Amino acid sequence: MKKSSSSGKTSRKPSNKPASAGRRAWVWGLLGRLCLVGIVVLAGWMVYLDAVVTSRFEGRRFEVPSRVYARPLELYDGASISVGGLRRELELAGYRQGDGRRPGTFQQSSNRFVISTRGFAFSDGVEPRRRLSLSVVGDRVSGFRVLSGDPSPIVRLEPAQIGGIYPAHKEDRILIQRSDLPPLFEEALLAIEDRDFYEHVGVSPLAIARAMWVNLQAGRVVQGGSTLTQQLVKNFYLTREQTLVRKGNEALMSLLLEWHYDKSDILETYLNEVYLGQAGVRGIHGFGLASQFYFGQSLAELELDQVALLVALVKGPSYYDPRRHPERAKRRRNLVLDVLADSGHIDDATARQFQARPLGVTGQPSFTENRYPAFVDLVRRHLARDYREEDLQSEGLRIFTTLNPSIQYAAEFSVRQTLERLDGSGERQLESAMVVTSRDSGEVVALVGGRDPRYAGFNRALDARRPIGSLIKPFVYLAALQHPDKYTLVTPVHDKGFALVFDDGRRWEPKNYDGEERGDVPLHLALSRSYNLPTVRVGLDVGVDSVVDMLHELGVAEPISEYPSMLLGAVSMTPVTVAQAYQGLATSGFNTPLRTIRQVTDAQGEPLSRYNLAIEQVLDPAATHLVQYVMQETMQEGTGRSAYYRVSQELSLAGKTGTTDDGRDSWFAGFSGDWLAVAWVGRDDNGATTLSGASGALPVWADFMASVPQHGFSPVVPDGVEYHWVNPQTASLSGKHCDNARLVPFIAGSEPTATDSCAGSLGGRLRGWFEELF
Amino acid sequence: MDMARLFGAGALALLLAGCAAGPGGSIYIPAATPPDYDRNSRRAPEPATPVPSPTQEPTEPATAQPQPESEPSPSPSYQDQGEALSGAAASLVRKADSLLAQGNVPAAIGQLERAQRIAPRSAEVYFKLAEAYVAAGNLSAAEQFTLKGLSLAGSNDAMQRAGWLLLADIRRARGNVAGADQAESRAAAR
Repeated sequence: MKKSSSSGKTSRKPSNKPASAGRRAWVWGLLGRLCLVGIVVLAGWMVYLDAVVTSRFEGRRFEVPSRVYARPLELYDGASISVGGLRRELELAGYRQGDGRRPGTFQQSSNRFVISTRGFAFSDGVEPRRRLSLSVVGDRVSGFRVLSGDPSPIVRLEPAQIGGIYPAHKEDRILIQRSDLPPLFEEALLAIEDRDFYEHVGVSPLAIARAMWVNLQAGRVVQGGSTLTQQLVKNFYLTREQTLVRKGNEALMSLLLEWHYDKSDILETYLNEVYLGQAGVRGIHGFGLASQFYFGQSLAELELDQVALLVALVKGPSYYDPRRHPERAKRRRNLVLDVLADSGHIDDATARQFQARPLGVTGQPSFTENRYPAFVDLVRRHLARDYREEDLQSEGLRIFTTLNPSIQYAAEFSVRQTLERLDGSGERQLESAMVVTSRDSGEVVALVGGRDPRYAGFNRALDARRPIGSLIKPFVYLAALQHPDKYTLVTPVHDKGFALVFDDGRRWEPKNYDGEERGDVPLHLALSRSYNLPTVRVGLDVGVDSVVDMLHELGVAEPISEYPSMLLGAVSMTPVTVAQAYQGLATSGFNTPLRTIRQVTDAQGEPLSRYNLAIEQVLDPAATHLVQYVMQETMQEGTGRSAYYRVSQELSLAGKTGTTDDGRDSWFAGFSGDWLAVAWVGRDDNGATTLSGASGALPVWADFMASVPQHGFSPVVPDGVEYHWVNPQTASLSGKHCDNARLVPFIAGSEPTATDSCAGSLGGRLRGWFEELF
Repeated sequence: MDMARLFGAGALALLLAGCAAGPGGSIYIPAATPPDYDRNSRRAPEPATPVPSPTQEPTEPATAQPQPESEPSPSPSYQDQGEALSGAAASLVRKADSLLAQGNVPAAIGQLERAQRIAPRSAEVYFKLAEAYVAAGNLSAAEQFTLKGLSLAGSNDAMQRAGWLLLADIRRARGNVAGADQAESRAAAR
């Protein structure tokens, strides 16, 4: 500076135009100063950008949404599944019909399947890739064989993804590493997007020049001049606006990124960051998810034509959307294949072979965001006990749930079919909910929150608290039967009206559903026919509090009023709570907390929490067995018997109807050997209907039970229970071949002592002798 | 805490694996109306048996209408003992055994829960779970799983004995001497 100003001085005298020379020197001086300021500012800006680039890249943790998986399908000889069910399960897990040799494909010829699994690392052990062969006969797997791979009599398929928990900005991705890339992927990507990736320093003037030349020759835009690094910077740090300043920043940041990090790091980040499509509000980021989204396959499984399509999409996922603009997408894909051939990675014949293939994208994304909104809603509520929402949205957790897609399908189907039928019979505005659990494990296997199972609105299975009506009765009688000195299944109970008068003067006069009164009836009949009057009498005798306590022990967390009217079900519960309470009835008195999650692992598959099977014996197993007997009688002779219009007579079931005043709520709860199901039908506005438990919820329940292959209910007789032939009308011991004889379980010592006239008579014995002879 | 004896009882339960299936058991019934219908057309499948319209159904209570005479009503079902482990479930139990031997208790419990899901009416699975919970130091869970196994042992004396002995050991380890003695006498009675 000094030098320049002094030279200005020295040049003043000899100059002829001292004024103009002075002005020029002044301009130069100013420019020099500005330049210096510019350099300082630029240096400062570079330092700032450098900090931005490094801090973001160092702490580069993609927000990866949590993935929610269905339970994995277990295949083994005897496994319960139908042909259609197995197909649906395979398709849901992203299998495609094919040769049954490539992992992720299956071959089906009528009831025979060959399945080539992809393998999956479960936290309790790895399931390696295998080829399986099996048949489905009578809704069971038979002839199960492992054709290749580690032999095993039982194999788990990969679980189907049924949902995700997304961050607010709805970016979704499946993180991949370079080692996950299929052959020629990197070559194709670099050939089309950034040929000099391994040579340039972040920006490539050569590439820009070449792109211009190629595009001019082609007469259209074939190549872009941005390097992958620039594309990454643009997505990673900058807004979408197209200004010169932003372009400058992009170039500077690209240089800085390349200066700090190696090519491999940058490429891997790019592979996971690039935007490749849109599913509703959910942005599809990275090639890992894009592969699932467009092909229902993992990236490593892709063939060259599929690789070329994904690479083609980088330029414009919306413009080249293969689902909306298949022709455009195909032209671009074939261009990628041409470029691969031109650059010598494949020969022309190979290129032509793959160019001839159809696009092969799945009709719809193989998983939708919200296929099972009601179930995932319950999963999220359970997760909220142990996990923060932010972690669920960003840490890429894997949530392994208990959802059984086959059972869910049957439950949705039954709700929809029955409600359409009820619509036809003149009922309007009916809604429904259903919960299905595994009887012995308490796993929630299906959940329907309303008649439209895809609608993620009011979840009636979790949030509709309704009076449960007669569903309470098994608990009332269970409380009584725990006193075998006083109550057995044949104890006469009084079916006669009465009035309770409370201290404040109010009167309560319960009535039977049909308004009739029958005098003395045996206890089992009072329950299987759902008579109200004897139930209240028995309940008042054993104490309302003992029924309330029992419900709490069975896992009902909400407070329950101790008014006598609760004995007829004036207590409100959600369908899920009813399922919880019935779990203890369905097992031999074991409270089994309902679970929707088996395990949560981190993104690498390391277990974070396990939700193990837990049981606690809270009911007397002998008394529970007696109630189970009557709940079976209910299905065979009592209020539930219309179920057998739909269900095979051979399938033994146990259950109970429930109806509230004016048919506002129609309930059915019951179980087979394998599944416990609770169905509710009613109106959201709590309006009256013409339905009872037997005509509204029972058909839903029965349709479900009829459409699921399963074991009948056949409880093991607990210690201290004996079966006797009795005449329930006279509460006396009888003989197998006597009139009115029933084989009834008793807690040992509580059986009748009196013997009816038939039991010991010659006639009775002769009849038995002849019947056994023929 | 008498761990050696505990495992002794567990080994006894293992020895019993595969023996004595219950008579009959829970009958397996294929689906009557498979829900295979065209989702797009929303067409219901043809039911295998004629289904009466809802208006014809009996309403609650059903006693007002007499039972059709031709329809013999079956009686409630029960069985004398639980079911034996299937081959597939037994293989999972073996896998769990080797995981237990390696000290990987959580993975062993994972495999046993798989076995429980496919053989939920087999006493042995629950006794095995009880063993795994003993190894995990969770004796209260171990006791509950033993009780569940016993609820399925029924008339199978060997299974009953194994279960009561296991329960006696667990109760003793928990300091419940009276309960242990009681369980032991139940075992002796079999």
